Amino acid sequence: MPSRPSLNAVVVGLLSALLAFVAVVQVRSQFEVERSLSGVDPTTLAFLIDDLHRANDTLARDAGALAARRAALQGGSNQEAAAQLNAEAAQLRVVEGLVPVHGPGVVVTVDAPLTPLDLQDALDNLRAAGAEALALNDQRLVTSSVINGDSEGVTMDGVSVRGPWTLWAIGDPTRLSSAADQMTRALRDDPRVHSAGYRAESDLVIRSTVVQRPFVYGSA
Amino acid sequence: MSRRQLFSLSLLALVALATGFVLADQVRTQLLTPSNQVARYQALVRSLQELEATNADSRRQIAELRAAIDALESTAAAQSGTTQALRNQVADLRTHAGLVAMHGPGVEIVLRNGVAGPGPGGQAGYLVNFQDIQDVVNLLFQGGAEGVAVNGHRISPLSSFSGPAGTVVIDQGNPLNAPFQVVAVGNRNQMEHLMGDASKLGGLRNRQRALGLALSFQGSPDLTLAPYDSALETRFAQPA
Repeated sequence: MPSRPSLNAVVVGLLSALLAFVAVVQVRSQFEVERSLSGVDPTTLAFLIDDLHRANDTLARDAGALAARRAALQGGSNQEAAAQLNAEAAQLRVVEGLVPVHGPGVVVTVDAPLTPLDLQDALDNLRAAGAEALALNDQRLVTSSVINGDSEGVTMDGVSVRGPWTLWAIGDPTRLSSAADQMTRALRDDPRVHSAGYRAESDLVIRSTVVQRPFVYGSA
Repeated sequence: MSRRQLFSLSLLALVALATGFVLADQVRTQLLTPSNQVARYQALVRSLQELEATNADSRRQIAELRAAIDALESTAAAQSGTTQALRNQVADLRTHAGLVAMHGPGVEIVLRNGVAGPGPGGQAGYLVNFQDIQDVVNLLFQGGAEGVAVNGHRISPLSSFSGPAGTVVIDQGNPLNAPFQVVAVGNRNQMEHLMGDASKLGGLRNRQRALGLALSFQGSPDLTLAPYDSALETRFAQPA
C-alpha cells in the first residue's frame, strides 16, 4: 500500500512548481524584450516614423497635383497639353539646375580645409532638409555633380575650387535653417575649422547653372 | 529528528531559498516594465509598417499617374507639331531627371552588413550606412553613370541620403536595409575601374577588412533602371 505524502513533500512540490513558473516567465519576458529590441531601438523607430509622415505628406501632395494634371489633360485640349508641358519643362529645368533660380533659403559659410567627402556630406545634409537648388562657391550642383580631390584641393565637375566655402541652398527656410544650424555647430567642434556660420535669406538668388552632359550609354 | 526528516527540511529550505532569489530578481527587473516596453515597441513597429504600406501605395499611384499623363500628352502631341516639339523637349528633361526607365551597359554593386565587433567602432561600424551608399553613388557618377538606382529606387537630381545606422532613406522612400543593390547605367569600363580602385571608398574598404562588410561588383552589357517614383516638386525655388 503506497504511503501518503508528507506535508513537507507537498510544500516542496508547490514551491518547485512556483519556482519553475517564475523562472520560465522571467526568461521568456527577458527573451521577448531582447528579441524585439535587437533590430532598431525605439528612438530610431520614432525618427523613422516622423520622417515617413513627412514623406507621405509630400507624396500625397504630389499625387494630388498629378491627378489634377491628368484631369485637365482628359479634356483633350491641345492648348491645355501645351500649357502642362511648358509648366513641367520649367519645373524640370529648376530641378536639373539648368536655369538661374531664386527663393528663400540659407547661406552657409565655412573657413576650413574641407575635403570632397566633407563637402558631399554638407550638400547631402541640405538636400535631406529639402534643398531644391544648391550652389557651392558660385557653382551649381545636383546629385550627379562630381566633387573630387586633386593634388591642390577640390574639383567640382572638373573645375578647381578653393575655400573658404560658401554654400547657397534654396528650399524650406525652416528646415534648412535647422539643418544649417546643426551642421555649423558640428563644424565648429572640428579642429580644422576656423569659422562656420549661416544666415537665413528670404529671397536668395542662384545664378549659376549646371552644364548637362548628353547621355551616351543609357537609352529609354 | 530522523535523517529522513532532516533531508526533507534541508530540501524545503533549499527550494524556498531558490524561490526567494528568483522572486526577488523578478521584482527587481520589474516584469511589467519589459512587458510595456514590448507593447510600446510593437505599437511603433505597427505604425511604421502602416506608414510603409501607405508610402508604397502613394509611389505606385504616382507612377500610374505619370504613365497616364504621358499617354494623354502623346495623344495631344499627335494632333499638333508644336505640342510634339514641346513633348520631345520634356521627354529629354524627364530622361535626365530619372523620370523615365533606362537601360544600357553598367555595373551592379552589392553591399552587405558585416559582423558586430568589439569596441565602439564595431557596434555600428559593421552595418552599411547611408554615407556608404552615398559614397558609392557619388563614385559611380564620377565614373560616368547616367542613371543610378539603389534597391530599385532611382536617384534624381535632388536625391538625398539619410537614416540611422543600418538603415538608408532615399528621398520620400521607405527605409531600406541591407543587402543593398546599387545599379548604374553608363560608362561601364570607367565605373568598373573606379570600383576596383583600392584607393577609393577607403572607409568602406577598411570596415570590409575589419568588420566583414561585403562589397562586390559586376559589370553587365545591359541593365535596366526603373523610373523615379517619388515627388520631384519645387515649392520654393522659382526660375529667376
